[in-house]
Amino acid sequence: MNKENLELNVAIFFCQQLDPDQDSNRRVIEKELGPGIKFFPLPCSGRIEPLHFLHAFESGADLVYLITCPVKSCRYQQGNVRAGKRIAFAQNLIREIGLDPERLILINIDPPLPKRIDLLTRELLEGAPVKGHSLLSRL
Amino acid sequence: MITAERKPLDEIIAMILPFKKVLVVGCASCVGECAAGGEKEVGLLGSALRMDARMTTKELETREMTLERQCVYEFIDRLTGLIDQYDAVLSLACGAGVQAVAEVFPNIPILPALNTSFLGQTKEAGLWLENCRGCGDCRLHLFADICPVTRCAKQIFNGPCGGSQDGKCEVNPETPCAWHLIVTRLEDRNQLDLLEEVYAPADWSKKEGAGPRKIVREDQQN
Amino acid sequence: MKIESQLKNVLAAGRFAVTAECGPPKGADPEAVIKKGRILKGYVDSVNVTDNQTGVVRLSSLAACVLLLQEGLDPVLQMVVRDRNRIALQSDLLGASTLGIRNVLCLSGDHQSFGNQTQAIGVFDLDSIQLIQTVRRMRDEGQIIGGEAVSPPPYLFIGAAANPFADPFFYRVIRLAKKVKAGTEFIQTQCIYNLDRFKEWMSQVRDRGLHEKVYILGGITPLKSAKMAEYIKNQVAGMDIPEPLIRRMKSVPAKGQRKEGIKISIETIQALKEMEGVHGVHIMAIEWEEAVPQVVEQAGLMPRPTV
Repeated sequence: MNKENLELNVAIFFCQQLDPDQDSNRRVIEKELGPGIKFFPLPCSGRIEPLHFLHAFESGADLVYLITCPVKSCRYQQGNVRAGKRIAFAQNLIREIGLDPERLILINIDPPLPKRIDLLTRELLEGAPVKGHSLLSRL
Repeated sequence: MITAERKPLDEIIAMILPFKKVLVVGCASCVGECAAGGEKEVGLLGSALRMDARMTTKELETREMTLERQCVYEFIDRLTGLIDQYDAVLSLACGAGVQAVAEVFPNIPILPALNTSFLGQTKEAGLWLENCRGCGDCRLHLFADICPVTRCAKQIFNGPCGGSQDGKCEVNPETPCAWHLIVTRLEDRNQLDLLEEVYAPADWSKKEGAGPRKIVREDQQN
Repeated sequence: MKIESQLKNVLAAGRFAVTAECGPPKGADPEAVIKKGRILKGYVDSVNVTDNQTGVVRLSSLAACVLLLQEGLDPVLQMVVRDRNRIALQSDLLGASTLGIRNVLCLSGDHQSFGNQTQAIGVFDLDSIQLIQTVRRMRDEGQIIGGEAVSPPPYLFIGAAANPFADPFFYRVIRLAKKVKAGTEFIQTQCIYNLDRFKEWMSQVRDRGLHEKVYILGGITPLKSAKMAEYIKNQVAGMDIPEPLIRRMKSVPAKGQRKEGIKISIETIQALKEMEGVHGVHIMAIEWEEAVPQVVEQAGLMPRPTV
């Protein structure tokens, strides 16, 4: 795992449909990484609001992820499509205040389902863009 | 409803620059419906402004709240007792709301966070269309319920002009020609006789009047 | 005794009328207008002067009309409702008549968003049909809008435009009927390239008997090049150039295309002369006034009548 990214504050919003055992699976990695990582399970990624992202950044997140089901396999048809639009909106807003929009990352995972959220998280952090701490988390 | 859009953030940031304590106030009615000034937008704007202040090391304290309406005294009154603790109010209301709040609290700057746009309808999720200019002399029944004043770029009462092609307006090919819609709907309704009429010049005094318009209803008064 | 409109005289005498167009310059330059007037003089009965066409600021139509009048031409004052409210429009109608202008053409005007003043407000207090009605009432009843008297009233021959090529097609003739009902006395049409559609429109016009109530002048714009033909087809709303015509222009080497454009215009005029209810032609040779004498001569429309 990228060592630098281990020290970052990361918020992960994700669709619960990805992992029926998310409740127990995420505890494994929560324990390992401590308070630097926060999970926010959603009934569907389409339920995300840009405000969730802003509050995550405001609370000091350096990277914010939204993980959705594979394209075209949303249980509610359009949920993950909508999620993409919400991401774009929030990215524009944080760009306006000078926060790097690439700190907000949309992940449409590849099939098949289910996935394990802990494994998924490890993979994400491994490949995470090297961004360092955001100005907000440093203050 | 009255529609509006948020001003660019840098404009808002410049507006609040002289103030340290800012009350961010939304309006849950019209501008809530068009996703410009409701509770969610208040949250987004408040959060963005606080983050900006932190990153640029400015002192800023905010409180967020959303009124049912900013254009009616009984709702504005909710700010009483609270507003004095702030240097300014950042209002996410239409221009009417901003002015109504300022009238109740004339000594506190009420800053407009939105640009008020038009009277319109929610056509579908995320799409709002202008369809009324408040001309004060509604004649929709003569035009198949499609307003030529609002929806024709040249507000022609005896249209369409020569620029209508394939049902689109020459001014903006994405906009349907209002007169094309009128003619087609009148045809469907078997009301083509209405098209033969030469409509007289409008009475714009009902719209322009002598300055701002007012409505007085004694039966509604206290 | 009042000076009469030459256009009205020619039409009333049952002669086939010829009008042309003069676009005023972008500057306070009388010579530019006078030069165009001199090219046209003797070849046409009247000259339309455009009113800030396509929303671009130019020398005023009224001023240019006066310059043409001084050159012995019969100007047609084009008036759009885009830039002036009813106060200014009615005032300018009185002014035009006072200065000796005898024709007015009532138009909506191109939308301001097309021109060089895109931030301007579009007035559109009246629409073109209401302007026709307004001029007619001023002239015949001596009344301005609202009923107040003007004395003496303006003395103007009243015209309007018609576009047989815009949509919806079935409605175009209804709109013409409305213009006639409002009081227009002559009509100048949009440029005719699609003769079939124009013929169809004229037959609808005759079915309604409108050709007996209003003089119709067919619009002619000689094509300068195949490129221009394609531009009009693709970029100009409300214009209709059929594909075979574009192919015909393309089949001629670039050097000969102007000549071909003139040839097409002459053929169109000849077809119009044969059409019942067409009373003349309006030649809009945009920034190519030199083409007008050629077209008029070769179409057999010379000499112009002195009535």
